[in-house]
Amino acid sequence: MKDEYSARLISNRKLNEESSILTFFCPDIAVAAKPGQFVNISCSNLLKRPFGICSADPESGLFSIGVREVGEGTREIREFLPDRRVDVLGPLGNTFPIDDADRLIFVGGGTGVYPLFFALSQAVKRSIPAISVCGFRCVGDTCMIDEFRNCSDRFLVSTDNGDMGIHGNVLDALSGISDSELNQSTIITVGPEIMMKNVAEWAFDRGLPCFVSLERRMACGIGMCLVCTCKIKKVGSDDQFENKRCCADGPVFDAREVLW
Amino acid sequence: MVSIHTDVGSVSLASPLIIASGTCNFGRELSEYISFDRIGGICSKGLTLAPRAGNEGCRVAETPSGMLNSVGLQNPGVDYFIANDLAFMASLNTRVIVNVAGHCADDYIEMASRLNQHTDQIDAIELNLSCPNVKEGCMIIGSSPSQIRELVSNVRSVTSVPLWVKLTPNVTSIAQTALAAQEGGADAVVAINTLLGMAIDIRTRRPVLRNNTGGLSGPAIKPVALRMVNECYRVLDIPVIGCGGISNETDVLEFMIAGASAVEIGTSVLIHPTIPLQIAGNLEEYAEKNRIELSDIVGTLELWG
Ligand SMILES: Cc1cc2nc3c(=O)[nH]c(=O)nc-3n(C[C@H](O)[C@H](O)[C@H](O)COP(=O)(O)OP(=O)(O)OC[C@H]3O[C@@H](n4cnc5c(N)ncnc54)[C@H](O)[C@@H]3O)c2cc1C
Ligand SMILES: Cc1cc2nc3c(=O)[nH]c(=O)nc-3n(C[C@H](O)[C@H](O)[C@H](O)COP(=O)(O)O)c2cc1C
Ligand code: FES
Repeated sequence: MKDEYSARLISNRKLNEESSILTFFCPDIAVAAKPGQFVNISCSNLLKRPFGICSADPESGLFSIGVREVGEGTREIREFLPDRRVDVLGPLGNTFPIDDADRLIFVGGGTGVYPLFFALSQAVKRSIPAISVCGFRCVGDTCMIDEFRNCSDRFLVSTDNGDMGIHGNVLDALSGISDSELNQSTIITVGPEIMMKNVAEWAFDRGLPCFVSLERRMACGIGMCLVCTCKIKKVGSDDQFENKRCCADGPVFDAREVLW
Repeated sequence: MVSIHTDVGSVSLASPLIIASGTCNFGRELSEYISFDRIGGICSKGLTLAPRAGNEGCRVAETPSGMLNSVGLQNPGVDYFIANDLAFMASLNTRVIVNVAGHCADDYIEMASRLNQHTDQIDAIELNLSCPNVKEGCMIIGSSPSQIRELVSNVRSVTSVPLWVKLTPNVTSIAQTALAAQEGGADAVVAINTLLGMAIDIRTRRPVLRNNTGGLSGPAIKPVALRMVNECYRVLDIPVIGCGGISNETDVLEFMIAGASAVEIGTSVLIHPTIPLQIAGNLEEYAEKNRIELSDIVGTLELWG
C-alpha cells in the first residue's frame, strides 16, 4: 500500500534570495522516485504544495526539492528547520522518458531546473549524452549552475538581461547548438508555460520529440479531485481535447498532445 | 467488543465513514492507500447522462481553512461508468453509493432507471440536487421544495434502490428542502454540499477561478454543516447523513450527536488519503473506552432552552 510519509528534514540550504534546496530523509520516497515525478509537501495551510523531485538516492534514503518563494506556503517551507518532520505524499505522477533516448537536450527555466537536474543525473548514470540549457532572469536568479555544468556534456546558460551567459532566452541559447548535435536528440523542457510552448515549437520545426512538464494548481495530487486538469489532444485530432489530470496522467506530456 | 457499525435506513455500514462524492473519483486511486473494510461506503464522482468535460481553466483556490472548487462535474457519463467503473467500486468491500446530477428532472429519472439494472452492485443512489458549479439542474432544482418533491417521487417510481438526496446549503431553509425530499420518498438526506463562494486575485482584479464562483468545502464550513444537520434531524423521520469539513473523530462525533446517522468525508480525504482509516481506529477506541455503540449517540444533542 502507498502511504503518507513523515519525512525528516535533513538540511535546508539557501541558493539565492528567493530559492532554497531542502533535503529530506524518507527511504520510501527516495527508493521509488523517478525523474519527472513530484512530491506533495504539507505546510500550515490546508492544501499541500507540489514540488518536482530534484534528487533521490536510494542508498542514503534522501531526496531533495528546490523551492522558490512565491507565496505563503513556499515562504513557510523555506523557513523549515532541520529535524522537522513534514507530511509528504509521493513520489507522484509520471516520468520523463529518458531511458529510451539516444541523446538528450534538457531545457529549463526558473524552477524547472530542479526536476530537470534529477533527469540529468539519471542520463549520466545511463551514459546517455546530454546537453543542458538553463534560462534565468538575471545572475541573482540563477541556481544549480555548477551542478548542471559538471554533469552535462555541454552546458549553456542564458539570462534575460545578459549579466550571465547568453543575452536572451533559452531559444537564443538553443540556436547555438549545431544540427549534428541535435540529430537523434529528445528534448525535455520544464519551466514557464510560454517557454515550454516556444521550445516545443522549436523542436517540432526540427522534427525532434519533445516532452514538457505542466504545472497546475492541485488539491489531492493523486488523481481523485479533478481540479488540476490540462487540455490534452484526443488521438488523431488537432482541436478536440480531453481534460487530463496534471497530477496523475502527467505532469509529463508529449508536447504534440498539449493544447496550449 | 463494542462496534462502530451503523445503519442508514436499510443500508448497514461497517462504520459511519463514507467517502464523499467528487473526492475519490471512483475509488481506484484511494484503494492504493487504504483498504475499505472499515469504511462505511464510497460515493462515486457526480455522474451525468452524457459525458462532461467540466469547467475551463483554474478550478481550485485555497481559502482560510477551506478550498473552493469549480470542477463542474467532469465525468465520463453514466453508461461509461456502468461499463468501466461500477464493478471496480463494487469490488471494494464497502457500500457503493452512486452520485447522479442532471440538467433537468428527466436526466435523473433516466439515470436512475439505467442504474436500476445493476441493483446487485449499488447500495444507494445519491441524488445530487446541490452542485453549485453547473448552470442548469442540480442546485436550481435543489433550491425549490416543490421541484425536489416532484423529482424525488418520479425517481422513486423507477428504482427500488435506496435514494439519498444531497442537499445544498445555499437556501434559506434547509429544513424545508429536507422535508420536501422526505415527502418525495427519499430514504435519507445528505447535508451538506458546498457553499457558493468566490476568491479574488488583487493583482489581476479577477476571480481566481475561471468559473468566477466555486463551492467552498473543508473545515471552514463545518459549523454551517453541523447547524444544518441538526435542523434536518429535528424535522425528519428519515436518517440524516452529515457532511462538511470533517477531519477527525471528534468532528464525526459532533455530527452524530447533532443527528447524523453517518457522515461523508471529502476535502480531508483529498489532503490525507489515509485519514478515513485513522478516524475509524480512533472511533473504535472511543467506543471501547466509553463502552457505547456509536449509533446510540445519534441525535443526543440537548439544545439550550
Ligand atoms: C507538478 C508541479 C511541480 C512543481 N515543482 C516546483 C519546484 O520544483 N520548485 C518550486 O519552487 N515550485 C514548484 N512548483 C510550484 C509550486 O507548487 C508553487 O509555487 C507553490 O504551490 C506555491 O505555494 P504558495 O503557498 O507559496 O503560493 P500561493 O500563491 O500563496 O498559493 C496559493 C495556492 O495556489 C497554489 N499555487 C500557487 N502557485 C502555483 C503554481 N505555480 N503551481 C501550482 N500551484 C500553485 C498553491 O499550491 C496553493 O494551493 C510545482 C508545481 C507543480 C504543479
Ligand atoms: C473537488 C470536489 C469535487 C466535488 N464533487 C462533487 C460531486 O461530483 N458531487 C457531489 O455531490 N458533491 C461533490 N463535492 C462536494 C463534496 O462531496 C462534499 O459535499 C463537500 O465537499 C463538503 O464536504 P467536505 O468539507 O468534507 O469536503 C465535491 C467537493 C470537492 C472538494
Ligand atoms: S490534484 Fe486532485 S486530481 Fe490532480
